[in-house]
Amino acid sequence: MALNKRRGRRPPENNNNKMSFDISLVLSSLPLLGMGALVTIEITAVAVSMGVMIGLFVGIAELSRYGWLRVPAKVYVDFIRGTPLLVQIFIIYFALPVVIGARIDPFVAAVTACSINSGAYVAEIFRSGIQSIDRGQSEAGRSLGMTWSQTMVNIVIPQAFRRIIPQLGNEFIAMLKDSSLVSVIGFEELTRKGQLIIASTYGSLEIWTTVAIIYLIMTLSISRFVAYLEKKFNGKGKKVQ
Amino acid sequence: MAENRHMIELRDLHKSFGSNEILKGVNLDVNRSEVVVIIGPSGSGKSTLLRCVNYLEVPTSGTVTIDGETITPQVNINTIRAEVGMVFQHFNLFPHMTVLRNITLAQERVRRKSKEEAEETARQLLKQVGLSEKADAYPDQLSGGQQQRVAIARALAMKPKIMLFDEPTSALDPEMVNEVLDVMRELAESGMTMLCVTHEMGFARQVADRVLFVDGGGILEQGTPDEVFNHAKEQRTKEFLSKIL
Repeated sequence: MALNKRRGRRPPENNNNKMSFDISLVLSSLPLLGMGALVTIEITAVAVSMGVMIGLFVGIAELSRYGWLRVPAKVYVDFIRGTPLLVQIFIIYFALPVVIGARIDPFVAAVTACSINSGAYVAEIFRSGIQSIDRGQSEAGRSLGMTWSQTMVNIVIPQAFRRIIPQLGNEFIAMLKDSSLVSVIGFEELTRKGQLIIASTYGSLEIWTTVAIIYLIMTLSISRFVAYLEKKFNGKGKKVQ
Repeated sequence: MAENRHMIELRDLHKSFGSNEILKGVNLDVNRSEVVVIIGPSGSGKSTLLRCVNYLEVPTSGTVTIDGETITPQVNINTIRAEVGMVFQHFNLFPHMTVLRNITLAQERVRRKSKEEAEETARQLLKQVGLSEKADAYPDQLSGGQQQRVAIARALAMKPKIMLFDEPTSALDPEMVNEVLDVMRELAESGMTMLCVTHEMGFARQVADRVLFVDGGGILEQGTPDEVFNHAKEQRTKEFLSKIL
């Protein structure tokens, strides 16, 4: 990335020592990077939680027979999925203040951009999950006299939710990685913390490697957790036809 | 008097899917405690007819009246559906719930019964369909015949006035058909008003008060089982019966 080059390590003054890897730099940076990682987790968790809530409603709206619900939902999903997250972050952090006439806190901007972005992807996940549930399920619910919303809440969504756990896990991982983009507005999550440390130590090799490993540990932990959830839910009852 | 009122009244019922007209003006009265069996070739509209009775399919025109109450946009369809139980070809049990929960859910949500009350009703019904020991099983742990019996219990838990059966044995292995038909037979004997789409002619002969032969989007012929099976007047009825009997 451009940022890498700009902030990259300066050519070593001592040529005998081309491939030095300063492990002590890694160790001394860990507390700061750890703080950054916690912020990354925080922003990802908030964004995906908000995203799941937004996505559930938008996903259902996309399936509505009412155009005034369906059309805005579709426009939202298309717009978000059709534009880069980086541009969305810029719009919220730089462009929106022009409109509302007030500065936006980087954390608020970062969380808002990521939540809105995640919501669109989760909406598509929910929509396809709900559509994958056999129509006979909702017919059975309705034939017993349950309302549309009772049927959705008790019968369709619980089954859809089990089915989409793997995709939600993927979305969580994707969001965790994409949250590195909010470093461009100066929000100090893991990637930004790495940049700042390199700016003062020039330790590109050590720091970027460490940052990558920390991301890897986080994403692997999530995929393990998702696999566990999948197993747990599918053991009980059944993996929905 | 309520005694003289028909349980189901269908008047000039039409149903089209796009330009495809499935029902072409059906009229039908079903009396209290009457067991009506609908037979007919596939694609004749018999399932659509059944599904119009509880508005799972909304008729294009015509009226449906259940126990004196005509379904209109002003009527809460859910209160009427609660009075009309339905059993599906593919059972449609809720796979993420235990058998017991399948039967108690709508009692609690629709009838506002307490958990204890709903469970008591559920256990009683499971006993009635011979599945007392399966209360805590999940649907996928049951055979097809057992699942369909649970589905019948689930519908009965609402204490419906009418039961609709949409080919309840068509998806079952042959050796499981009778356990389901036995439950239906008992239900008929208990005085339930029943409307059944089925290919089980033995059941129709034995249990039905009236048999309807549906073809081409309308009721072509109807009468007692003896009249329809042994003395059919219409050529199409005879042809159909000769193929399946």
